[in-house]
Amino acid sequence: MAIFRYPNWRWPDIPGALEDFERARRQMDRLLSVFSGGSSSPTSSGVFPPLIVTEDENTIYVEAEIPGIKAEDLEISIVGRTLTLSGERKPEETQNVNYHRRERKWGSFRKALTLPEEVNSEAVNAECKNGVLKLVLPKPEHVKPRKIAIKGEETNVG
Amino acid sequence: MADTDLVIEEKKEAQATGESTRDVPVFIPAVDIYESENSLTLVADMPGVPLENVDIDLNSDQLTVRGTVSPNEEKGKMLFKEYAYGDYYRQFTLSSDIDREKIQASMKDGVLKLVLPKAEAAKPRKISVKAL
Repeated sequence: MAIFRYPNWRWPDIPGALEDFERARRQMDRLLSVFSGGSSSPTSSGVFPPLIVTEDENTIYVEAEIPGIKAEDLEISIVGRTLTLSGERKPEETQNVNYHRRERKWGSFRKALTLPEEVNSEAVNAECKNGVLKLVLPKPEHVKPRKIAIKGEETNVG
Repeated sequence: MADTDLVIEEKKEAQATGESTRDVPVFIPAVDIYESENSLTLVADMPGVPLENVDIDLNSDQLTVRGTVSPNEEKGKMLFKEYAYGDYYRQFTLSSDIDREKIQASMKDGVLKLVLPKAEAAKPRKISVKAL
């Protein structure tokens, strides 16, 4: 079973050098993606299901493409900052048929993702529609950014 | 559990499907096609496409399947992206005659299933051999 962790990969010991290389690679990818339509992701983990993770001030959003997976065959769990999606995509049951094409894959999967921030696991909302899973993970109060008012120095003119 | 681990099959972008007026990429859906005695069944993965956005066209022996996704509002700042949002398009040439009145399409969990019953003339006929 493949477990993928994000985003805490560590570069080995040469300080700075690999980060520079990584930055150059990203710029190259961005440049090339202009020609390819920007669809392929250079950071894909290769582990099913493919995810899109976005975040705003109060919430982390996770989307996964899981066509053909029933809700009961999918398991979602959160332990600390680790979100795990696991389950199985089952082959269609057919009898006495000849296959002309068989491109759709099936099998079991397990993917672990380290969230960038702690989330309030009690208030997570999961919804699966048209083969796309949408998770809304609210951040707890103490990790939300707080606006700090800056008091200006009073200036007395005259 | 099955002993195969699923990996991401990167979505392939369709080439030259005519000029699209929509500003989203167009992908080739992965399909299974199987044939039984009476029908041809096509199963296609089209995550993100609701049934009402599926367009199926059968023109003589050319079958066209098109699925359009509803616009996705991306919330917040992108942290990680492993797939792109886009439409689906694929064309097939069918070899046997299809009874087009009886074509059934259904969509479940982002998977399109199309049952194309064979026309009477195309069904295999059993020929009995008489022993003399």
